[in-house]
Amino acid sequence: MMQFSIRRVNAIFRKDWKDLMKNSYIIFTLAFPLIFAAWIGRMGSEDPAFQTFPIHFALVIAGAFVQAAMVAEEKEKNTLRGLMLSPASTAEILVGKSALTAVSTLVVVIGSILLAEYKVPSPPLFILSILLGLVLFVTIGTILGLLSRTVMETTIVGMPVLVIFGMGSMFKAMTDNEMIIKAVDYLPSEQLNMIWMELDREMNISGTIDNILILLAWVVVSFVIAVFVYGKRRFD
Amino acid sequence: MEHVIEVRELAKSFGNKVALKSISFDVKKGETIGFLGPSGSGKTTTIKILTAQLHPTAGEASVFGEPLEKLKDPSYMRRIGILTDNSGLYERLTIFDNLALYCDLYGISKKSSDEVLEVVNLQHDKNTPVQKLSKGMKQRVTLARAIVHKPDLLFLDEPTSALDPVNTKHIHEGLKQLNREGTTIFLTTHDMHEAEEMCDRVAFLHNGEIKLFDTPQKLRTRYGSSSVTVTLKGDQVVTVPKDEQGAEEIYRYMKDGQLAAIHSNEPTLGDIFVQLTGRNL
Ligand SMILES: Nc1ncnc2c1ncn2[C@@H]1O[C@H](COP(=O)(O)OP(=O)(O)OP(=O)(O)O)[C@@H](O)[C@H]1O
Ligand SMILES: [Mg+2]
Repeated sequence: MMQFSIRRVNAIFRKDWKDLMKNSYIIFTLAFPLIFAAWIGRMGSEDPAFQTFPIHFALVIAGAFVQAAMVAEEKEKNTLRGLMLSPASTAEILVGKSALTAVSTLVVVIGSILLAEYKVPSPPLFILSILLGLVLFVTIGTILGLLSRTVMETTIVGMPVLVIFGMGSMFKAMTDNEMIIKAVDYLPSEQLNMIWMELDREMNISGTIDNILILLAWVVVSFVIAVFVYGKRRFD
Repeated sequence: MEHVIEVRELAKSFGNKVALKSISFDVKKGETIGFLGPSGSGKTTTIKILTAQLHPTAGEASVFGEPLEKLKDPSYMRRIGILTDNSGLYERLTIFDNLALYCDLYGISKKSSDEVLEVVNLQHDKNTPVQKLSKGMKQRVTLARAIVHKPDLLFLDEPTSALDPVNTKHIHEGLKQLNREGTTIFLTTHDMHEAEEMCDRVAFLHNGEIKLFDTPQKLRTRYGSSSVTVTLKGDQVVTVPKDEQGAEEIYRYMKDGQLAAIHSNEPTLGDIFVQLTGRNL
């Protein structure tokens, strides 16, 4: 049984919070999706596909990118090693290290929705989809951070992954290749789009079950990968 | 006597580069032992293996009577303190906040960080962000973090390499106190004085092998010279054997009022190391 104590998770969260307050690079990165959302809002479009675009952007930038940078910095500065050599368990470190990003991403997503003036359909299901997306992108960010040696490297390692995962839907318009179109249909961003469009049209659960299950599968797979990569990082 | 560390024919290679050929040793509970050796002799590698940061290539080791794999378990990490050259600090946070995190992780009162800051002589800088500290001050913060929970076993990889003599002495006193309270200490150093001052036993590591492992005193007598050096008035220096004939000679010098000084020629650990390996530390 793996040990899990909220006290230790909270300790890492508070440490990250104090650190964030002094980290202008991260604060600026978090503000970036909000600026984008405000710009979309100014356009005054009523098209949900257009209005939800800032949400994807917020998940990718605030969720994955910021998380990758924060995890990579712990690696670069050898502080992750310190946590690994403390009594904190893998679960406590991974959850603790994701907690601040999750909270700030949620704030940025809510801010983006408000600024883009998107009217949320069926709040409970919408919230569920946002939470799944949140967990998924923060976990992807963790993996990217663990794979990069430095904060700078996260931009290089992360860019292709984030383009595919965050904006993969756009590839559909660019190709006739059946295989690619099929593959893109399974990407998390597509699942989120399908859920949101379905909710916008029908506001019912049944049409979105498949998409939610696929998202859930993404979450589970990314979790397993994150724990695996983390385990490798304990050793030189 | 209970062994805190047991190592049997431990070996480590990186590709075809051999870092540790085959080392075996035990560390008793409450001991302070020192690994001495030139750069690249495998000191850090040994610590990393014993703290489960590196897999050994061959051989066996146990800490607290458990095999190394068990060490990843949080209940073991609680009993260990580690200072290595890659122990990082949160640069934007203050000294106190860095330690407070670890107090929370260890589940101990934050008062411990104030206590430990006194041991490393940083009690007046606790609200300074780490990025504003000098190298030696950072090393002291890392040391404070390694001992804040009063571990049963403490690994120190060159703990005072960046420190001035005053701070080194202060920290040695603190570590000795910790040792008296029951902490077993495993340290590596280039500094012979540190080894003599701190260690119950020292191991000489050279080319991935332990050349010698004994108390500093025993090593000194075993490698001690059979002569003494006598300086006479007028700066003449003579070497006198440590036997009856030598005694008479010295007696004569003293009686004639010629004697200025006698040196015992006791070797330092550094001299022994050179004799043993033909290399300087
Ligand atoms: N990650 C690694 N990859 C390849 N070789 C390594 C690695 N770590 C150590 N070595 C090699 O293993 C040998 C022992 O290194 P180690 O760091 O243990 O020496 P040390 O005694 O701690 O030296 P120093 O006094 O300079 O700290 C060296 O030859 C080094 O080049
Ligand atoms: Mg070393």
